[in-house]
Amino acid sequence: MAIFTPLSIGRSALLAHERAITTTGQNIANAETPGYRRQTTEFASQDQAQGFGVRVVAVEQAIDRFVEAQLLRQESRAAGAEVRRDVLDRVQQLFPVEGPSVGGALDAFFAAAQRVADRPEDLAVRGEFLARAEELAARVRALSDGLAREQRVVDDRLRGDVDDANVVVQRIASLNVSIVSAESSGQRANELRDQRDAALLELSEFVEVRATERENGSVDVELESSGMALVIGADVQELAVEVGGGGLDGSPVADVGVKLASGPVVTLPGNPGGRIGALLTLRDTDVADRSAELDTFALALRDGVNAVQTDPAARDLTGAVGLDLFSASGAADLSVELTDPRSVAAAIGTNPADNGNALALLDVAEAPQAGLSGATLGDYFAGLQAAAGNAARSAEDEAAVESAVKSSLEGRRDAVSGVSLEEEFTDLIRFQRGFQAAAQLINVSDRMLDELIGLVR
Amino acid sequence: MVGRVTQTTLVRDFLSHVQSLQSRTAEAQEHVQTQKRINQPSDDPGGTARVARLRSEDADLRALQETVGFGLSVLGAQDAVLGEADALLTRAREIAAQHANGLNTPGERQAAAAEITEIERALITLADTTVAGRHVFGGLATGSSPFVQFDDPGFDPNAAYTGTSEAFHVRTGRDGVTTRLTTSGDQVFGDAILALDVLRSNLEAGTVPTTEIDEIASAAEGLRLERASVGARSRTLTERGQEILRGIHTAREEIGEIEDIDLVEAIVDLQRLQSALEATLVSGQTLQQSIVDYVRL
Repeated sequence: MAIFTPLSIGRSALLAHERAITTTGQNIANAETPGYRRQTTEFASQDQAQGFGVRVVAVEQAIDRFVEAQLLRQESRAAGAEVRRDVLDRVQQLFPVEGPSVGGALDAFFAAAQRVADRPEDLAVRGEFLARAEELAARVRALSDGLAREQRVVDDRLRGDVDDANVVVQRIASLNVSIVSAESSGQRANELRDQRDAALLELSEFVEVRATERENGSVDVELESSGMALVIGADVQELAVEVGGGGLDGSPVADVGVKLASGPVVTLPGNPGGRIGALLTLRDTDVADRSAELDTFALALRDGVNAVQTDPAARDLTGAVGLDLFSASGAADLSVELTDPRSVAAAIGTNPADNGNALALLDVAEAPQAGLSGATLGDYFAGLQAAAGNAARSAEDEAAVESAVKSSLEGRRDAVSGVSLEEEFTDLIRFQRGFQAAAQLINVSDRMLDELIGLVR
Repeated sequence: MVGRVTQTTLVRDFLSHVQSLQSRTAEAQEHVQTQKRINQPSDDPGGTARVARLRSEDADLRALQETVGFGLSVLGAQDAVLGEADALLTRAREIAAQHANGLNTPGERQAAAAEITEIERALITLADTTVAGRHVFGGLATGSSPFVQFDDPGFDPNAAYTGTSEAFHVRTGRDGVTTRLTTSGDQVFGDAILALDVLRSNLEAGTVPTTEIDEIASAAEGLRLERASVGARSRTLTERGQEILRGIHTAREEIGEIEDIDLVEAIVDLQRLQSALEATLVSGQTLQQSIVDYVRL
């Protein structure tokens, strides 16, 4: 009946405004909830056929899909750059600028050689020379050991990150199930979607992913680099760790792959990006390369010095032919073979007071080494130190840039999806007034009905 | 700035500025505390490499400095010996000249022979001078004398020196520069010993000295030439020592220029950053304002 129309209009307004206030309340309550995107109540006016009044059509989330996708990618890059900065900073600390260093030990070794050249028959001086050689070998081994340990730390972090990533993957799949069931009634499950998008962002810290939404509301997650799926609806293909090749310390490192639904683990074909990708590169390229360069240095040192020591015309204090001073298969096992000071071959010929071979050893310090592409021993090592510094510096700069870009994208997301208390409060005022007005309308309708009924009596 | 600003945006921007200032302040503090620009390679990778090379050069120059000192002491000892030897030969010449006219008595000749014997012994002893146990005219070898002593049973003036004929060199500069420190004993003293011995045996036999005078004169001339060579090498070493000192000074100066901070500049930087940090923190008060303070519903 038409007399009830104002009443029903009032009722629809009351309900709609109450719903709007509820949404505003939800926004205010979740203003600081990470990943929460503000919601707006969409009103639609009802026409005569629908009985006039207002209806809440939907509660929409304010989302900019494009910015969200960019942010997903940027999260991977920023997380990767950050871990790269941290690890490369630790690596460069292995090449200190102050205090004991390989460079200093190398200089002391050749200074001691100069003393032998001045006093070839002095056993104390020869003993000091062997001691300096030991010190140099020890520092090289320590540096090699440091690099090996750093690589192991990176590998351990990698394994930890794979486990952590899998926890997030599982969470996404279970949220998929929840969302599908919650939305089967027709209403969007905004809060669950917020949680799932937050989980996606968390996952993208570990690896670069792309997410595709299906009709039923669930999301498929794939690795950006290889297209391999991690989440397909409710099903999960976890990241897995397999035994890989040997690391610098001899123990195997982890190969990362995806455990397919059908059973086998497929090793990731490329670099998956994010922290896991960055750790893989650090472990297998940055740290491994630095270690290989140190090995090259150790072998060049061994060869340069031993060539002089074992010169066919060279003799030690006992008149015997000179033997190798250093032995090494790499930097990790560089060691001094001679222990008797008399066995240092300082002389050319049988005169024990001769210093010809000691003078030849001094030339090694400034000689271009074939194994070092023509660099001297000292310059090559200084180059290693500078390279470690350069790598750390670039990583620092890159991390700062990626972080700034991420910040800027987060700002843009907040501009669209963030809650502004000023806005919510003014909305609260609006809807409260609307509610009051609707209540008045009901009041008026009520009195109208009273009049009507009064007429009849 | 984007159109819509929310609480989250304001807080995030504020925190990011504060963190950036704190990080730069920490860096500035490190510079002031260590007084060094370079505390790790990434602070200045190129500078780090240059400093490493300069430190290496400094260490090498200091090693060379020690060698130069050693060289000068050896050459100094040789110079003293050659001076004394010259005096001995001068006396021998006088004696030879005195007996050249054949007018001396046998007794006088015997006395002269005895004196020449002493001179010969003294010369050989001088030739055997050591510095820290090393024979300066015997290739700087340690151990027993490279000269056969006059009183030894096998003494032969033609072969009094049995040591090495190799010269002893030391490294006194970068790029393979060396200095010779020794001349073989027989080259320096061989002629003198022989000439003295001939004079001695002639005087003992009663023969009148004839050619011996010229022999001794020429041997003395040889010693003087050797002394001049020692002197020249000594001067070269002294100059090299000065060069090395200058090199060390230059290297250390350059290291300082690369490594050290300008303390005043660093302190001013630190103060500037601290003020900026303070100002930023104070500005954080605006974060507390919101519509909630002003609207009563």
